[in-house]
Amino acid sequence: MQFFLQVALSGIATGAIYGLIAVGYSLTFMTTKVLNFALGMWVMIGGMLTYSLIARMGLSPILALPVVMVSLFVLGVVAERVSVYPFLRAGSDVWVMSTLAVGLLFIDFAELIWGRSPTPVPSYVGSEPLRIGPIVMLPQQILILGTAILLFLLLEYFYRRTLLGKAFRAVAHSAETASLMGINSRLIQLTSYAVAASLAGLAGFMVVPLTLAEPQLGTVLGLKAFAIAIIAGLGAPGGILLSGLAYGALEGLISGYLNTGLRDILGFSLMILVLFIRPEGLFSKVQAERA
Amino acid sequence: MSRRSLRLLCVMSVAALLLAPQLLGGTYYIFLLIIIFIFSIAAIGLNILGGHGGQFSLGHAALMAMGAYVSTIVSQALFSLPFFAASGLHVWIGLIVGTTVGAATGAALAYPALRVRGPYLAMVTVAFGWVVWKILQEWVSVTGGDLGIASIPKPQIGAWVLDTRHFYYIVLLLFIVSLGLQHWLMSSPIGLRIRAVKHSEIGLASVGVNVYRLKVWMFIISAAFAGCAGALFAIQQNYISPDNFQFFSSVFLLLAILFGGPGTFLGPVVGIAILTLLPEFLHDFDRYRLIVYGGFILVTLYFLPRGVMGPIESRLRPGVAPRSGCVVPVSGRLGIAGLAVKLEQISLNFGGLKALSRVDISLASGEVHAVIGPNGAGKTTLVNVLTGFYQPSEGRVLIDGQPRALTSLHASARLGLARTFQTIKLFGDMSVLDHVVIGLPAGYENPADEADGLIDFVGLSAFRDSPASSLAYGHRRLLEIARALATRPRLLLLDEPAAGLVQEEIAKLIDLIHTLRHSGITILLIEHHMDLVMAVSNRITVLNYGNVIARGTPTDIQGNAQVVEAYLGPSHVHA
Repeated sequence: MQFFLQVALSGIATGAIYGLIAVGYSLTFMTTKVLNFALGMWVMIGGMLTYSLIARMGLSPILALPVVMVSLFVLGVVAERVSVYPFLRAGSDVWVMSTLAVGLLFIDFAELIWGRSPTPVPSYVGSEPLRIGPIVMLPQQILILGTAILLFLLLEYFYRRTLLGKAFRAVAHSAETASLMGINSRLIQLTSYAVAASLAGLAGFMVVPLTLAEPQLGTVLGLKAFAIAIIAGLGAPGGILLSGLAYGALEGLISGYLNTGLRDILGFSLMILVLFIRPEGLFSKVQAERA
Repeated sequence: MSRRSLRLLCVMSVAALLLAPQLLGGTYYIFLLIIIFIFSIAAIGLNILGGHGGQFSLGHAALMAMGAYVSTIVSQALFSLPFFAASGLHVWIGLIVGTTVGAATGAALAYPALRVRGPYLAMVTVAFGWVVWKILQEWVSVTGGDLGIASIPKPQIGAWVLDTRHFYYIVLLLFIVSLGLQHWLMSSPIGLRIRAVKHSEIGLASVGVNVYRLKVWMFIISAAFAGCAGALFAIQQNYISPDNFQFFSSVFLLLAILFGGPGTFLGPVVGIAILTLLPEFLHDFDRYRLIVYGGFILVTLYFLPRGVMGPIESRLRPGVAPRSGCVVPVSGRLGIAGLAVKLEQISLNFGGLKALSRVDISLASGEVHAVIGPNGAGKTTLVNVLTGFYQPSEGRVLIDGQPRALTSLHASARLGLARTFQTIKLFGDMSVLDHVVIGLPAGYENPADEADGLIDFVGLSAFRDSPASSLAYGHRRLLEIARALATRPRLLLLDEPAAGLVQEEIAKLIDLIHTLRHSGITILLIEHHMDLVMAVSNRITVLNYGNVIARGTPTDIQGNAQVVEAYLGPSHVHA
């Protein structure tokens, strides 16, 4: 039982990271039906930047976080303008490749700037393991879990209670109609992309003390987050957190009881299974197809 | 360029390729050509799926891996038996099994993955590619793990072991066969559907095509090419490892197609050739590999949206001139037994909204029945129930007296219900002729003649070979009618055919419906334009808020106070 709780809880902390990233997919999807295909690479850039700021320049994490998030926000604005918007207007799916291309550029540039070898980043809240009853958790894991939950509460509040949040949802429903209602759809599309990038930066910031900072960091993270976003349904930000945590717990259990190699194989197979049974995801409402 | 010079060019290129081993000195160049051919085979497969059909996969490297590993394992196992070792059959059986397993893997992936579209499909294929890559690494007892499999049996015919020079001819042969298969497939009726599915799945389903099944088959065909290429790759390299089949290999394949020209004949080959040769000439390429690829993708998307070959091939394609005097006139085609359709107590709710409540409508065979009503009355919902988009929550549909479950658009179309759409669903830049041919049932000796008759009937003969995307709005509506008529329907559902038409075009539409009425076909007309409705309808049903509020002949309806109220508000009734 103790082992069960231990692996499940550690898994949940990892799952929180997946959830953080996955919410970025849903943000852009809700407003533009566009996904940043290389979101994982953005996480990596956030992580590498964190490494430079904290491990190299000695900045405190409290200061480094806003710098990372703002930088990625700005980068997100530029990337949207260059790699998404021109193709959005043409009404084609070409942005699949263009956002991916930006991600490929990121990997090589990161390797040129930071080198290929993984480097450690110290935990922001100490590395003394905490004992909670029979279970041992790292403070960083608890920080991540807390951040994820806080973020989702904020997002739910934003979408449901604030005027801007409602504008977001209006654009999600129909950009054209929203424009007619006096909402600046274009600005909201741009912002959602940049916010997703910024959140990827946050995820990168949070994850590097647990993993290591390296240019290959983001590929798998981005892919798993996508699997979670699909399992939950891209239109359901709240469901994405839950799925992220559950997916993390499942991963923890598989690696704990079976083996690490099976972990990702089962995870992705689960996504394909969900697609087969419920293509719209577990938490999304079915949207009737219209002719 | 004329057909003859094109053929001459083909013959000359094949001759050059046949002589290449003699002309090129070192084995290095032959090796490069073999690699280009092998990856071209995979790219041709991906082109059928993604370029022609618009279903992009980023997991084709994994399908190649299936071909490579399975063929290797089979051929190594057989090699231990003396019969195979002596006859050399083990290699070729491996190649066939590898191709087959590649195709089967494609099927296993396609069934669940094709439930989603476009970008989601691409991402699911990424995940699939990753799973396969991971299995190759982890399943050490079979795949050798990260170390891979070495000393793959050499190609051999009888006791004669082929060297690179001879193997070149085998690969060349398979490469030319692949190009030929692509050409054959894309010029067949299936090819027409593959091109159409890229533009509008709904439009394609409306002519009776099971779109999901079509896409699964496209995936299987595409996967077979990838499996074959993977098997050839293993034989050529003599050594394979998971690294050969990483995600970036899939990106490479897709990039080659985008760059070469998606949906063109030679695009995949040109793309692969350039992207393979590029690193050979670029110093220190590996360090900047992703920057080069990423940059290439962006530049291609901006400046070459149709790739290198797109503009070239569309200039080379010879148009097919209509043969005069072969037009089959439609106006004289009488005696269609129009369907009699009865909707009984149909209800449909969207959440709390009652879109239709206990609607009864019966369409007699051969009548023109109009359904009118203010916006949001449930008119299009009614058409969507009849064409299988929505399942009614209550009630049933009787067709010629038989209760029928209308479960999908293509199934409805096969029952003889053809429809047009309020928001037009045409196949992008495909020609007017192609739009009509695609709707025709199989079995016409000269589909083009039959199609010409329908095109002439709706008055689009002058635009026969123009892309649909270049047509004026009104003409697009007419083209949808021609496409629907091509399926030989017994019930035609016209969903706001006059929307966006000018007066002149409406007059023509009225003539057209009159002519159709004489043929015996049943017509259900959803329309706002009252002149049109009153001019052509036998009977009219009026819907408001999902309820039938009136029914009768045009004269009955014109005098109905309730109808006037529904349209104009209560104050106008007594005014």
